[in-house]
Amino acid sequence: MTVAAVVSAASVPAASVSAAAADSIPAPHIEYGVLSPLFVVFGAAVLGVLVEAFAPRAARWAVQVGLTVLGLVGAFVAVVLVASSDDWKGARAVVAEGAVTVDGPTLFLQGTILLLAFVAVLLLAERRLDPGPSGAFAAQASTVPGSPGEREATRAGAAQTEVFPLTLFAVGGMLLFPAANDLLVAFVALEVLSLPLYLLCGLARRRRLLSQEAAMKYFLLGAFSSAFFLYGIALLYGYAGSIRLSEIADAATQAQGSDVLLLSGVGLVTVGLLFKAGAAPFHAWTPDVYQGAPTAVTAFMAACTKVAAFGALLRIYYVAFGGLKWEWRPLMWGVAILTMLVGAVISLTQQDVKRMLAYSSIAHAGFVLVGVLAADDAGLRGVLFYLLAYGFATIGAFAVVTMVRDPAGEATHLSQWAGLGRRSPLVAGAFAIFLLSFAGIPLTSGFMSKYAVFSAALDGGASPVVVVAVLASVVAAFFYVRVIVLMFFSEPAADGPTVAVPSILTTVALALGVTVTLVLGVIPQPVLDLAGDAAAFVR
Amino acid sequence: MPYLLAAHVLLALVAPLLVRRLGRDAFLVLAVGPAAAFVWALAQLARVRDDGAVAESYEWMPTVGLSLSFRLDTLSLLLTALVTGVGALVLVYCARYFSSGSAGLGRFAGVLLAFAGAMLGLVLADDMVLLYVFWELTSVFSYLLIGHSAQLKAGRRAAMQALVVTTAGGLAMLVGIVMLGERAGTYRLSEVVAEPVGGTYGATAVMLVLAGALTKSALFPFHFWLPAAMAAPTPVSAYLHAAAMVKAGVYLVARFAPGYADSSLWRPVLIPLGLATMLLGAWRALRQHDLKLLLAFGTVSQLGFLTLLVGTGTADAALAGVTMLLAHALFKATLFLVVGIVDRATGTRDLRELSGLGRRLPAVAVMAVLAAASMAGVPPLLGFVGKETAYAAFLDAPRIAGWASGLTLAGLVVGSVLTFAYSARFVWGAFADKPGLEPVTPRPVGPLFAAAPGLLAAAGLVAGPMSGLLGEGLAHYAETVGDGHPHSIGLWHGVNTALGLSALTLAAGFALFAARDRVAAVQAKAPGVGNADGAYRAVMRGVDRVALTVTAATQRGSLPAYLGTILAVLVAVPGVAMIRGGQWPDTLRAWDTPLQAVVAGVALIAAVTAVRTHQRLTAVLLVGATGYGVGMLFALHGAPDLALTQFLVESLTLVVFVLVLRKLPKRIVERHSPVTRAVRATIAIAGGLLLGALSLLALDARVAPPVSDAFPKEAYEFGEGKNVVNVTLVDVRAWDTFGEISVLTAAATGVASLVFLRKRTGAVPRAHAIAPPPPGPTPGPTPAPQSVWLPAGALMAPQRRSLVLEVVARLIFHTILVLSVYLLFAGHNVPGGGFSAGLVAGLALVVRYVAGGRYELGSAAPIDPGLLLGLGVLVSGATGVIGLLVGGEVLQTVAFEQTLPVLGHVKLVTSLFFDIGVYLVVVGLVLDILRSLGAELERLDEDEDMDVDAPLAGVAR
Repeated sequence: MTVAAVVSAASVPAASVSAAAADSIPAPHIEYGVLSPLFVVFGAAVLGVLVEAFAPRAARWAVQVGLTVLGLVGAFVAVVLVASSDDWKGARAVVAEGAVTVDGPTLFLQGTILLLAFVAVLLLAERRLDPGPSGAFAAQASTVPGSPGEREATRAGAAQTEVFPLTLFAVGGMLLFPAANDLLVAFVALEVLSLPLYLLCGLARRRRLLSQEAAMKYFLLGAFSSAFFLYGIALLYGYAGSIRLSEIADAATQAQGSDVLLLSGVGLVTVGLLFKAGAAPFHAWTPDVYQGAPTAVTAFMAACTKVAAFGALLRIYYVAFGGLKWEWRPLMWGVAILTMLVGAVISLTQQDVKRMLAYSSIAHAGFVLVGVLAADDAGLRGVLFYLLAYGFATIGAFAVVTMVRDPAGEATHLSQWAGLGRRSPLVAGAFAIFLLSFAGIPLTSGFMSKYAVFSAALDGGASPVVVVAVLASVVAAFFYVRVIVLMFFSEPAADGPTVAVPSILTTVALALGVTVTLVLGVIPQPVLDLAGDAAAFVR
Repeated sequence: MPYLLAAHVLLALVAPLLVRRLGRDAFLVLAVGPAAAFVWALAQLARVRDDGAVAESYEWMPTVGLSLSFRLDTLSLLLTALVTGVGALVLVYCARYFSSGSAGLGRFAGVLLAFAGAMLGLVLADDMVLLYVFWELTSVFSYLLIGHSAQLKAGRRAAMQALVVTTAGGLAMLVGIVMLGERAGTYRLSEVVAEPVGGTYGATAVMLVLAGALTKSALFPFHFWLPAAMAAPTPVSAYLHAAAMVKAGVYLVARFAPGYADSSLWRPVLIPLGLATMLLGAWRALRQHDLKLLLAFGTVSQLGFLTLLVGTGTADAALAGVTMLLAHALFKATLFLVVGIVDRATGTRDLRELSGLGRRLPAVAVMAVLAAASMAGVPPLLGFVGKETAYAAFLDAPRIAGWASGLTLAGLVVGSVLTFAYSARFVWGAFADKPGLEPVTPRPVGPLFAAAPGLLAAAGLVAGPMSGLLGEGLAHYAETVGDGHPHSIGLWHGVNTALGLSALTLAAGFALFAARDRVAAVQAKAPGVGNADGAYRAVMRGVDRVALTVTAATQRGSLPAYLGTILAVLVAVPGVAMIRGGQWPDTLRAWDTPLQAVVAGVALIAAVTAVRTHQRLTAVLLVGATGYGVGMLFALHGAPDLALTQFLVESLTLVVFVLVLRKLPKRIVERHSPVTRAVRATIAIAGGLLLGALSLLALDARVAPPVSDAFPKEAYEFGEGKNVVNVTLVDVRAWDTFGEISVLTAAATGVASLVFLRKRTGAVPRAHAIAPPPPGPTPGPTPAPQSVWLPAGALMAPQRRSLVLEVVARLIFHTILVLSVYLLFAGHNVPGGGFSAGLVAGLALVVRYVAGGRYELGSAAPIDPGLLLGLGVLVSGATGVIGLLVGGEVLQTVAFEQTLPVLGHVKLVTSLFFDIGVYLVVVGLVLDILRSLGAELERLDEDEDMDVDAPLAGVAR
């Protein structure tokens, strides 16, 4: 693949010969201040690689966890500073030579991603549930499952501490993705966030073949969709003569050039974005990957990737394709409707908790799209709120999944969850709260988010979609209720799984999930205010 | 008002503690909450009468326009009094109904209190979304209450059913609320009702809201969940299914009726549904044997009646409706509580087993008779007042067509007759002496246990004669509906038609009761009507089946299927757009030379054959052939440099492929049906055509002059080279190239690290390192020294050696290396360059490896690939600095020209060194691949006989 890249660079004539060959190329002006969250995360990631290379094996885990948490917290502080400090408020704009936009939505999304990533890292670092130096991850991912090499690596106490720098790189990509102001930067960010995820998916310690298959599928399909994205960029460049979002928008309003190029480009770029967001008909990878990946990684993906992908989708659609609203809205209507229906209906038949959550994430992608359809500030605000609320609930739900175990590892078959509420009312109660939130029951964050996006979409004239959304909510609610009934009103199986006692890390993650879900359900106003203040894209 | 709600929440939270401390007496303490609210509500009576309403509002979510708005008007006051009053009494009743040791009593108490709070909030809320919040909360809490006896499967199913049905309705209601709110510009319930949203939009929205009301009030066709929910403990049934929750739907109808009763869909929906529910419920109540189920169907019937009355939208009907609302709460709660007492005292609720209870529990029997009489509409009880007012309302109904009101009235009379019959049947069934049946001996009933039903029954009795006073208060609400001039209500209006109808009802009802045996026979014969429970289950089964089918069709875990979907969408959407809107070029030139067509044809044939072959190796070779075909096209088009690179990359890819394929099964197993294959072929061909057509369009869409026009000149002036491609790589886009070789280095390292599990660096296995072939006598003919063409050839297994290959390798290896060096140095001006040259050198190594095995590779390149890679990056990087040193930019090309004695005129450009770096990286990459995918896998194979398919899956990219 890389070989081909070199060739293609050779075959594509450079665009700006004179600029490259001119005597003085002005040095790019980088606004380090407003970009500091990115630098902190990427810096921590690079440090993590160095730690991996030089730190003694015994100390690596602790150092990596510390470094990662520090990096995320530091970046979050930076986001808060950028968002609140008066010095930088004026600097909110298109920065880094037009490559990146730091505006309200960017900062809100970055903050969201960092918070969610922090919680997910707590799960990644959990080692008590699956005792051993490597936690839930394979001791050495490159060993063949079931081989003597694997046993040897386990015996030697190897630990795949690369997980943490990989996660940080992915987080870095996610921070950049919704901030990208030109399509090429978006593509780079997309790849930076995707490649580590492909790897992380394949690192499960148990059911390794399933995990590797998941990674493989994710990679292949992801590579295809990235290729489409890139092809779309090329077409848009051909149309507008620029990859800058605002210039594409200008070209589109002036209606210069061939519409086919423009629309095909939009279509192809959309494929790449919808794939990452997990929307139908590009959703098929979601259940397989969610099921196969280590649960902590799944939690990370389900929450953070979704935020990043929708963030980028919003920016590209609002800024670059904003003038094409009437062209893309019918298409997006279809996608949203299909996504919600597929997610809700198929989730009914699921017998595996992780797969069920995967379908639920598809359905929620559809609900978020409903907000995107509103295509105004209220819709944007709703989507921002939705992403935050859904992220916390979903990480919490996966945290519960990691805790319900039998001797073979996580017990993910739904029948094994029967009667869980009798044995461990607290854990099952937490899971029930998350499910109620997914179902959109009032006083949970799920209700507020649904309310926000649905009312925005209705205002924006998308009432048929809202009707379908409600129908899908009913179907999904039916399913969530079924799980709650199963947990609380069924007899526990005699040899059923137990709820393992996790370390403080998972406990904190779970507690955060529950707290945020409830608090956002009762007093969402502060967060809504934040999202409202943020809700305007700088072009 | 928020304080009242907060008090409920607080009590709900401490309830489990209280129960643990006080046992069942804790309910007495808990009753204080609702009781306080009841007292508060009565205290507001004067203010509500004078001012119309008491309102409070607090900010909640201003951004989305939500506030904590509460409003107490006549209707709310009535409901509040009911909810809190009955609630307090039910709690008192609970203190004796349950035994202290019941499992989960603490939780139950907490949930019950929470439910009471939610219900209170529901009737007080003035913000529609707040109303919805409380609405859903009552669903959730009621679900927990119904499911309290979770041991029973029936209990679970009932709870589930109730929740699914009411939640579904609730969500529809939410949409309606949002529609109304967005259009009206306010979410204030009072304002939305005062200034109704008109038109079809408003009618639709309010119908959606009513969907919530209908499901919650168990109206046909959603009535089935209510009888099923009777699995709940009796106090819950009394509270939820008589006084509180099911009334929420009626309340909502009553709330919206003032503004929306005239909207187009309102009456055509509500009146028939209400009537149907009333008749259906009463008919089915008549044949129940379980007293509680009898009451449940009776409740369904009465809810239909109430909905019909408040939904009619005339002042008289509204007045009758709210009167009946009060009456129903009083008598139905009493009856449920009485059933609970009977159940506790005798251990059964089956009216076929009960006999002679009236004589043994006379006080209880009196309460039951009073309540049942009110239900049946016997004067002077409140039920009679309500019913007669209802008759009167339809005898003279403005705004309704005459035939419709006549029909409705007839239905009402029939329903009331049935009601009388089942009321009588209830009393008879529970308390009468039945011939041929042993009288039961009940346990004694304590005064506290009987207090609640006693009070409620008494209230029904007192309210009848006082109904004139009551009517004055309730008229405040009725005045807002329809024409706004309700007649007064009371026990006695003189002899008129309504009175006649009431008398008729009583007589017919009594006759029906007297002929109960014959009625039972008829009912047994009549087909079961309106079995909506079955419909519900069929719907659920249907949804499940659809879900399974869809899953089976779309989610098979098959990568090709997923990819096919993506491609198909791509073809369908942009493809169709393209065909419809594409500006196709006017003229198409098929080819420059016919040779191009031949090459393209060959490439196409190779592609088709590649898909059809069953041999993995053949497939790879054929794919390679398509690549060579593309290379040929490049060459024919006048791009020798690209062609060269394409050929080289293609060859190397082929080698890597083959190295990996050694580990995979030889044959591709074909398991697909012809249909699948046809579908896939279609998608593939369509996808190919799409991309081809897109390229055509894209090329045709060019408006700016291509940069390649100015390129050769610029390349020579600034890059000092005539080979444009090479100059682009090493000068114009040198930064990019530098980035790419770094990536290449990382990728090579990554591939290797996947295969080399332990370590890669260290000694390279060379032929000399191994003990040389034993010099001693060997069996067979001793090989002559001159036959050693390759140093490590002897270390290969004899069956794998090929002398021809060894000879060829020996002969051409150095030649190829020289060629690669030539390409490297000449590349700046003629086809070639570091990249191609590196590939050529790499291919030379491949030849050595294939001919001589892994030790031969070690001998040919006794160097660590990592070193080569690193060196390459270093050289390229260092070259970049030269530009800086001579005062230019990083990576700027500097040319040194000199006439040397022997070589003549020499022009040395710094970018050559950059190219050397590229060269080294590429050679390092090839070496790395050969050593990891070739030599190391070979070694692993020899070391241990294990399955290595899995890691290769990751490497095969």
